[in-house]
Amino acid sequence: MSDTTATAGSHATAASGEPATPDSALLGPHSLLHGYCNDARWGLAVVRATVLEAAHPQIGAALLDNSTFVAHPWRRLRNTLTSTQRILDADTGVRDREVSRLNRMHARISGDDAQGRPYNAMDPEARAWVVATLFESTLTMSRLSGESLDGPTMEQLYAEFRAFLALLEGDADHLPLTLRQFWPYFDDMLARGLENTEAIRVILFRLFAQVPPPPLLRGRPAVWAVGRTVAGPVAAAVIMASLPESFRRQAGLGDLPGAQALSRGVHLGSGVATRLLPQSWTRTDTLMGILDPAPGQGSGAAAGALAALNRRRSQAAALFRLLTPDPEDAGSGGPAARSADRFFAEVLDQTGDGHLDWPDLAAMAREIATRLDLGERDETRLYDAYADWWRELLGALDADGDGRITRQEYAATAASLAGPALIKVAEVLFDVADSDGDQSIDAAEYRTLFRRAFERDLAGADPDAGGRYSRGEFVREFLAFMSGQRPSNAYDALLAQS
Amino acid sequence: MSSVPCHVACVMDGNGRWAAQRSLPRSAGHQAAEAAVIDVIEAAHAGGVQWLSLYAFSTENWRRPCDEVDHLMWLVRRTLRKHALALHARGIRCRFLGVGDPRIPPTLTRDITDLMELTRDNKRMTLTVAFDHGGRRDIVEAARSLIRDRVPAEDVTEANFAGHLPHPDTPDVDLVIRTSGEQRISNFMLWQVAYAEWVFPEVLWPDFRAAHFWECLTAYRQRRRRFGDVTVPATTDEG
Repeated sequence: MSDTTATAGSHATAASGEPATPDSALLGPHSLLHGYCNDARWGLAVVRATVLEAAHPQIGAALLDNSTFVAHPWRRLRNTLTSTQRILDADTGVRDREVSRLNRMHARISGDDAQGRPYNAMDPEARAWVVATLFESTLTMSRLSGESLDGPTMEQLYAEFRAFLALLEGDADHLPLTLRQFWPYFDDMLARGLENTEAIRVILFRLFAQVPPPPLLRGRPAVWAVGRTVAGPVAAAVIMASLPESFRRQAGLGDLPGAQALSRGVHLGSGVATRLLPQSWTRTDTLMGILDPAPGQGSGAAAGALAALNRRRSQAAALFRLLTPDPEDAGSGGPAARSADRFFAEVLDQTGDGHLDWPDLAAMAREIATRLDLGERDETRLYDAYADWWRELLGALDADGDGRITRQEYAATAASLAGPALIKVAEVLFDVADSDGDQSIDAAEYRTLFRRAFERDLAGADPDAGGRYSRGEFVREFLAFMSGQRPSNAYDALLAQS
Repeated sequence: MSSVPCHVACVMDGNGRWAAQRSLPRSAGHQAAEAAVIDVIEAAHAGGVQWLSLYAFSTENWRRPCDEVDHLMWLVRRTLRKHALALHARGIRCRFLGVGDPRIPPTLTRDITDLMELTRDNKRMTLTVAFDHGGRRDIVEAARSLIRDRVPAEDVTEANFAGHLPHPDTPDVDLVIRTSGEQRISNFMLWQVAYAEWVFPEVLWPDFRAAHFWECLTAYRQRRRRFGDVTVPATTDEG
């Protein structure tokens, strides 16, 4: 642990007594936070923190309206992880870029909740609460898994989280200056600042019960469904039992007999696993790599060892797929055209609330912008194109004029989906994906967008093209997919699969 | 035992006739072929053959009735899944030659990829399944690949041409076994069979077993011996 400088920094801040903006040098690859972020156990803390966040009325409403985490939790998890890693990057340029991207993204999220109260993802008080819950959940996770942090380490971690908030907000004034002052703030929020929101229930009961299979198991819905019936309630119980007592009481979350012991057992088990297993096994990116394999991902650290590990892992995954029963074994040939209903549920309704509205399309734009790591100008172009498409859709499909499109309205006029505004979206997507501006999408650009290599079923249309997409081909492919006429593995991976 | 051929290839012919003789649908013949495939793999593995190639489906086979093709695809997939672990456990590296047609169901393509991935580090034997394979197409592809790499015409040799064929580490075929008495090449691994010995047992593929395989190896050995008589001085010859 080479964190002496960071500890000294936090002490200096505490000693000076003035609310100086925390030093962003606290973050980076040597920070405690970086260690947690790479530890697969931290996932437990992040989910727990999300429940606490969701109890905040503003955050709960924003999550319900805009987030794709119910319909696409795995994708969301990966994005969160990437984003956090970028913020903790050694290079401040990478950090600043990610922070401004996050801020632009959050600036687009605002609205009114069910009771008509406004919410805004840029609200400083709400953002402070997000960081507070992450901090408290990290401590709880450590405590439950049997490695309580000592005083100075907690102080340092707190300082790092404040630095994290300061990086996002410009200052950390909405979080108390010291750890001693933090606890009254946290307890006060629990007692007064939170509500029994709809979002809590969605996370605890719907998300865990319905979480779609990770990409690894996508071809095995039966295996996943069986595993989930057991694991879903267990996961919900583990998370619930780790929440503060007062919060559980307030949110009316039941206390299952044995849930406390189960939660401790799981946390303790994960702690023991982290200590006993080779470090590379319990890293977050290893776990994500197994669940959501992305070909050609070159992470610099220990590339050789990682490649060997990847190889073993992909062999294990291949073996697993070959040995597990396959529902398509009955001999169905080829992918059938997707039904309008499935297309609506899997692709269009990104937020999983059963109807199509602007947040769904914004989520698509967000996903693409995140993947391509777009700058502000390109990102704005993309959002604008999607906004135009939304206006076009609304005009064509919204029969009752309620500002959103239901499944029935979509099914009635699905054909008119491919209007000029959608073509514009395809063209803008081509422009921003063509990062070297040579008017074609080559293999590397393709991989950045779709996180997969060129595939026979796509490139196969013209094997002589040498693995390139021209503008025309790209637009055609996109339109065929978006109008639901033709399934495409690549676009499924981008927009449909979680 | 230097007399064991390094690379044996089988053209699995006669499934349809086998079924017709029994008044069964053609698909039953393909189904019965599975046992022969497994037997031959076992025999080759036990006999120390380093490379075994099986011609399962040619690019021309797509012209067959749709039902038969569908059934064949399903059968390949089932067989592959059924025996994947056994193949891996025996240290057999599995490869597929061809497999470029979009008509192949994606589920099968994925299983093929998985099987290749799973077994790619194995060293005991390499099993190449020519599936949706055409010998001429491979040669054309190699020519394309040369042109794409801008290799000047005078630099093209047999050796570097072979390097542009799919699976370039595959050695030349020593022995081709074509069952059911048919005596044709049928566009099979054209480049690699240039110097191969051919044997044409009368038995139909579904009836082909390890014993037949041994007979073919013996036939191969005898031919080699006679071939040796020409070059080796007569004094060392026993009879």
